[in-house]
Amino acid sequence: MDRYKKVIKLRILLLSILVIFSVILGIYDVFLTSPEVKESDLFSFQCGSTSALGLLGAIIIIRYRGMLRDEKKLKLQFNKEKDERLKAIRAKAGMPILLVTSVLMIIAGVIAGYFNATIFVTLIIAAVGQMIISGFVKMIYMRKM
Amino acid sequence: MKTKIAKLRKAKKLSQEELALAVGVTRQTISSIEVGKYTASLPLAFKIAHYFGLSIEEVFDFSEYVN
Repeated sequence: MDRYKKVIKLRILLLSILVIFSVILGIYDVFLTSPEVKESDLFSFQCGSTSALGLLGAIIIIRYRGMLRDEKKLKLQFNKEKDERLKAIRAKAGMPILLVTSVLMIIAGVIAGYFNATIFVTLIIAAVGQMIISGFVKMIYMRKM
Repeated sequence: MKTKIAKLRKAKKLSQEELALAVGVTRQTISSIEVGKYTASLPLAFKIAHYFGLSIEEVFDFSEYVN
């Protein structure tokens, strides 16, 4: 379990970097971005997704810190991550590769969006769509298996 | 696959969560194995059988796989 504790501590460190990055980006967006860029829908989407990412990171950090203090919670989380049935369900739902491609598509969509709005919308819809399908498949297998 | 896990667990007055914690899976997985929705892998079957101090054949019913 000590090895897993180290893994959790490393995750906390990486998430802290993510939270700091999103805060810096948020400050830049609010105070240093030109008014023309601020008016676009894409900028609103970028601000919203960055804030959501930072907030999500902070929530997960709090959860991990709680687990480090409670041995039973840590063991339950360890079992959840190593559980063979859940691993099989995740694999059937296309995880984690579908999550990676979705995140890459969203990043690509935001970058491309500054040049072409249609590409932005298409990529975001495709990314969200495949995430929904994956979630749906996972839900089905959670009931079946 | 049919198993005797529920019976053995009840005889030992164990909850699904306690057994799950001992063999390194989630409570839902133990529940799925008990009702026959999920077939445990060989290492997990071994862990469960070992936990009860029995052989795999004594805990899991392999009759549907033989002939």
